[in-house]
Order: sequence, then C-alpha cells, then structure tokens
Amino acid sequence: MLSIIKLRFLRLRDEYLIIVIMTAMALGLTAIFGTSGLSIYRPTVLIINEDSSSYSEMFIEEMERDSTFKFEMSGYDEAAEIVDEGKALTAVLIDSDFGESIDRGDTPNIGILKVTDDRYIFTLERLISSISNRMLTNVRIAEITVGYLENFTDINREKTLMSIYDIAEESWRYRRPITVNREMINVDGNGGYDHLKHTMVGFSIFFSTYTLVFSIGTILSDRQYNTWQRILISPVSKASLLGGSMIASYIIGVFQVGILILGGRYLFNVDWGSSILGVILIAAAFVFTMTCFGLLLSSIVKTYSQLATVTPIVLISTAMLGGCLWPLEIINSRVLLTLANLTPHKWAVEGIKDIAMYGSGFEAAITPTLVLAGMGILFFGIGIKMLRFE
Amino acid sequence: MTFLKVRELKKHFKDVKAVNEINFEVKKGEIFGLLGPNGAGKSTTISMISTLVHPDGGDIFYKGESILKNPKPLQKKLGVVPQEIALYPTLTGYENLRFWGNVYGLNGSLLKQRIEEVSKIIGIKDRLKHQIEKYSGGMKRRLNIGAALLHEPELLIMDEPTVGIDPQSRNHILDTVLELNKKGMTIIYTSHYMEEVEYLCSRISIMDQGQIIASGSKGELVEIIKGNKRINLKFDNISDTLLGKIKEISYINNVEIISDEVAITTNNGEAIFKDIINKVSETDSSILSIDVKKPNLEEVFLHLTGKALRD
Ligand SMILES: Nc1ncnc2c1ncn2[C@@H]1O[C@H](COP(=O)(O)OP(=O)(O)O)[C@@H](O)[C@H]1O
Ligand SMILES: [Mg+2]
Repeated sequence: MLSIIKLRFLRLRDEYLIIVIMTAMALGLTAIFGTSGLSIYRPTVLIINEDSSSYSEMFIEEMERDSTFKFEMSGYDEAAEIVDEGKALTAVLIDSDFGESIDRGDTPNIGILKVTDDRYIFTLERLISSISNRMLTNVRIAEITVGYLENFTDINREKTLMSIYDIAEESWRYRRPITVNREMINVDGNGGYDHLKHTMVGFSIFFSTYTLVFSIGTILSDRQYNTWQRILISPVSKASLLGGSMIASYIIGVFQVGILILGGRYLFNVDWGSSILGVILIAAAFVFTMTCFGLLLSSIVKTYSQLATVTPIVLISTAMLGGCLWPLEIINSRVLLTLANLTPHKWAVEGIKDIAMYGSGFEAAITPTLVLAGMGILFFGIGIKMLRFE
Repeated sequence: MTFLKVRELKKHFKDVKAVNEINFEVKKGEIFGLLGPNGAGKSTTISMISTLVHPDGGDIFYKGESILKNPKPLQKKLGVVPQEIALYPTLTGYENLRFWGNVYGLNGSLLKQRIEEVSKIIGIKDRLKHQIEKYSGGMKRRLNIGAALLHEPELLIMDEPTVGIDPQSRNHILDTVLELNKKGMTIIYTSHYMEEVEYLCSRISIMDQGQIIASGSKGELVEIIKGNKRINLKFDNISDTLLGKIKEISYINNVEIISDEVAITTNNGEAIFKDIINKVSETDSSILSIDVKKPNLEEVFLHLTGKALRD
C-alpha cells in the first residue's frame, strides 16, 4: 500500500500543473467575480408602516442600512398580494402603537406577514429584534440622562431627549459589540447573503473537483502504460492498489482545499464563521465523495483521454446544479432544487455557507457530512463493481 | 512434483478461441519455449499463468497447488516481462526500478543493492538517472526485463522480449536469459522467432490457433519432419515456365518463392539434383546456387500447419 502511495506522489510530476492551475483559477476567479460588488440576490421585504411617530421612521432607516434585504414601502393589501405571488420574501408590519411602545419602554409589536424561507425569515427576525432592542435601549439612556440633567438645570426635554438618543445611536454604530457577542455580529453584518463568500466557496468546491477526479484517474493512465496489469500480478493486493491510490488522491485533495480555505482567509479576508472545524469537516467529506466519484468515472470510461473529455462536462453540469457557479438562493424551480440535492456540490456549498455565511455552528456540518459520506460510499461501491482488473 | 503444470487451460473471447484446452509442464531449472505466430494464444496463456486473467476452464498448478485457488505463493516468486513495455515513462529508470522493488517488498539497502546488480545485468547503469521516455526501444526493453528481476524470481516469464529492437540489444537479452538460467532461474520464453527458441530452450511447445500442435526438445521436434528436405535454389531469372518445369518432378511436395530464391521441399534426397538440373536445362534459366537447408523448427511448423511461422 505504501509503495502505491509513494508512486502516486512521485507521479504528481505529471499532474501537478492541473492542481496549480485549478487552485489559481479558484482564487483568481474569486478575485474577479467575488469582489466585483455585484451582489446578485437580495430578497425584497415590504414594510407596512401604520405608525406615525418618528420612531418608526428611525426604525425603517435602520433596517435599510442592512444589505441582506431590499426594503420597499407598501400598503397592507398590496403587500399581501405581492407576497402571495412570491414577488417579495415577506412583509414587515409596524403596528400603529409602535412609537408609544418605544416611549413606554415596551417591546414594540412588529408582525411578519408570511413565512416562506426559514433562513431569511430567521435573519430578518433577528435584524428586527436587534434594531428595536437598540431603540429601546437608546430611549432608556436618553430618559435616564434627561432625568438626571433635569435635577441640575432647566432643559428642553423633547429636544434633549432627541439629541441624546442620536448620540446613543451614533455610538452603537461605530462601536458595535463585535467582540462581546457573536450573535450580534451575525445579525449586524454576517447573517445574510455575501457574494464574495459564495464565490469563494463555490469556486473552491468546483475547481477542486478537477484535481480529485484527475488524480484518481491516473489509474487509467496506469492501464495505458500496462503498469496496472503489472501491479495486479505482483503480491500487492487489489485492495492495496485501490486503497493506496485513493489515499494519495485524498491527501492531494485535502491539501488543495486547505490552500483554498487559507487563501480565502488571507487573500480575501473571508471569515469562515464560528466553526472552522465544521467547515473543514464538510470539505474533508466532500474530498472523499469526489475521490469516489472520480473512481466511478474512471471505471466507466476506458482511457485517460476519454476521462479528460467526459470530466469537464460532468463537473461543470453538476457544479451548475449544485450551486457552485451561482447561488441556489436565486433558483425558484422545484425541479432544479430537487436535482441539486443529488449533487455532492450542493451539500458542500450549502453546508459551508450555513456556517461561514449564515452564522450556524458546528452542528450545521453534521447532516452535509453524513450525506456526503453516504454518496461517497455509494460511488465507491459502484465504481469497484465496474472497474476492470484485467 | 512438477514445478508448473498447465491442465486443459481454456480462454475464449467471444468467438475467438484464444487458448483452447492446452496442456504442458515446465520443469524446475529449464528454459521452456512457447513458439507460435502472432495470434497463436501465447500472451493469453502467459496472462493466465501470471494470475492476471482468469481462465474459462482448466487449472494451473505451481508446485502442486492450484494458483486459481491461491495465487499468492506464485505471485511472490514470479517475475513477468510483459510483451508490451510496462513502465512509467515520466519516471527515471532508477525510480521505476525502485517502485517495482517496493512492490515486491524490497526496501532500503537491500533494494539499493538489487538495483545495482540488476542494472549491471541488463547493462543500463549509466542511464538510470534519465526519464525512460528518452530511452531507445532497446533500452526500454532491457529495463522492462530488469523490473522483473529485482526480487530474484524463481520463475521468470518472458513474453516476446526481443520484438522490435536492434540486433545488439537482442543478443544482449538472449545472453542475459542464458546467464539467468545458469544461476538456477526457471524461464518460460515465448517468441515467434524460431532461432531464439532453438538457441535458448531445452523444451519447446509449438502453438497455433489456441492449441499446442507439438511438444518436445528441438531434436524430437525435428524428428517429425525426418526425411523431409528443404532446398533453396537461386537462378539468374525466375519465370513461370521454370516453376512449371520444377513442379513436374513428382516427389517435390512444395514449391515456394522466397524473395529471390525458389524453395522446394522433398522427401527424396537422392535423385533430386539430377532431375532439377535436367528440368532447368529445358528452360532458358540457369542455376546460380543450390543450398540444402538443415531441418529446423521453421520447417516443422510449415510441415504441421502448411503455413510459414512469420507473416
Ligand atoms: N482481450 C481480448 N479480447 C478479444 N480477443 C483477444 C483478447 N486478447 C487476445 N485476443 C485474441 O486472442 C488470440 C490470441 O492472442 P494472443 O494471446 O495475444 O496471441 P499471441 O500472444 O500468441 O500473439 C488473438 O486472436 C487475439 O486477437
Ligand atoms: Mg503475444
């Protein structure tokens, strides 16, 4: 087995260029598309404002600072219709006693019209509660300060309240409690769709598949060199021959994906979220799945050059379906979304995004990892059955 | 106990009976030859003995044990020089040898020493640092042999090891085979070159269309055509009238033109020269030379199958 692993690394001499090119492509294209600022998808959220106080206006202003959603003002009936047609994600209803509640220091009543997508609704809810909590706190600070000031001097209560409120609000803006509470960060900036991250994850997953398929595909060039047969008649078992080849491919794949994760971190400043372990687990599972997939492909085609012809077609189409090239968030078709579930790419990309983009923890890695491992075992099983050992 | 015994071995590819229930035995310490034209089924036989291809029928016994049931004992002791070069072209000669050594469990200083010895045997020592895709055909063939020798196999199988190489490399390989055999290695040598098999092998099986059509020592095989003589004649010009006249001689079995010569086979060696000279004098050709061939395996094959060994 060791002899086979050593051989595969020795033969990297023939293939290292693919790995270098694919890694460079992933990073290069991320640089081009990920940072071009075009954020493809922002779900529309309608705002129905039935309150006439200035608080509701401040509230709306705050909401609009968030880049996850596109906010539009609307009336109640109109909103219900638009949401029903699926043209907007949901509508936020600001109650007529919103201003009074804030003034009283009560949590204001804010309704969310229709739940269509758990993840975005969750983000939206967190956004709303964070803003209203902040407003409540600001009002509280302003009242305490004004009450305190009133002990010493005669002041214009309303005006002072307003200006202290503004000062408090300002100080939130520049001193976000980033290091204090992770949840807060997620709500403020990390909880929504981030195009750079999507591009980084999608391209890394996509381009690493080439390395994986081609590196296990060397068993086909072995057959062409007749060395496959020569190994088979040696005391090296079939299990060692295959196992060694797969282990070597796996190590090469993990190494490449590792470079991409580090490249994302240090070249593009990508924050991989709270559970880097989860991200690594999913990536490692994906490398396994695709190594097995490469074995399956290699067992179907006859020669290395056939593999070289088939691979790009297969890898590009699965990458498209699996949401590597554009986010699945923009896909509405049920058929396409169902098909996406059949690609390993989808599970890897969505799993990593859950952690790195939507603020989930390690637990979000478990399902994708299990699905990927299951797919890998299936591919491996079929591949072994079909592989020719003569 | 017989060293290697092949019993009713069979392999069919769709409607091609590549190997059709053949039997033979190889004794320890001998060079056993498998002679036959292209497509005779030699390589298929070798593939089955070397555990690569599973036979459709029959069995192979190594020291009395079926290799189909348990291939490991043979695999450890077997060296195979495949008909096609089976090496990694982008690796150097040294890296190739090191890998094949590893595959047979050799490591460290022992492996180093074996590479040293083997490269001396195949006469390729000064080129080991180069990638083998830069080697000449003959050099590749030699390394292909070297890769099978590292673990000092008990049985060495060589499948047409001299195809398509220069005469110098060919002679080197033939000498190497004798050298290895002298040190005790048992060898199965396949070829469609009659001279090689005659030169090397103590016992020979002649194979054609998936079957063994004759077996024995060279002497025994030549006995088959005893009394049959092959005579090659050179003329200043060869015409149809000339060939017609020669064919009139009743005890001539076969008349063939081989390049610029007329080859005849006959089982009457006495009166033949007088008759030929008489017949030729009736034409306007004249004889330049007469060459009586010593009987060899080429003739045996021709006698048994009615066709030439080489195409
Ligand atoms: N894998 C195969 N598939 C189909 N036919 C084959 C295969 N291998 C060999 N044959 C056929 O079997 C016959 C014997 O081939 P082979 O053993 O290579 O002969 P030799 O080595 O004596 O030249 C040939 O007719 C060849 O075409
Ligand atoms: Mg052959």
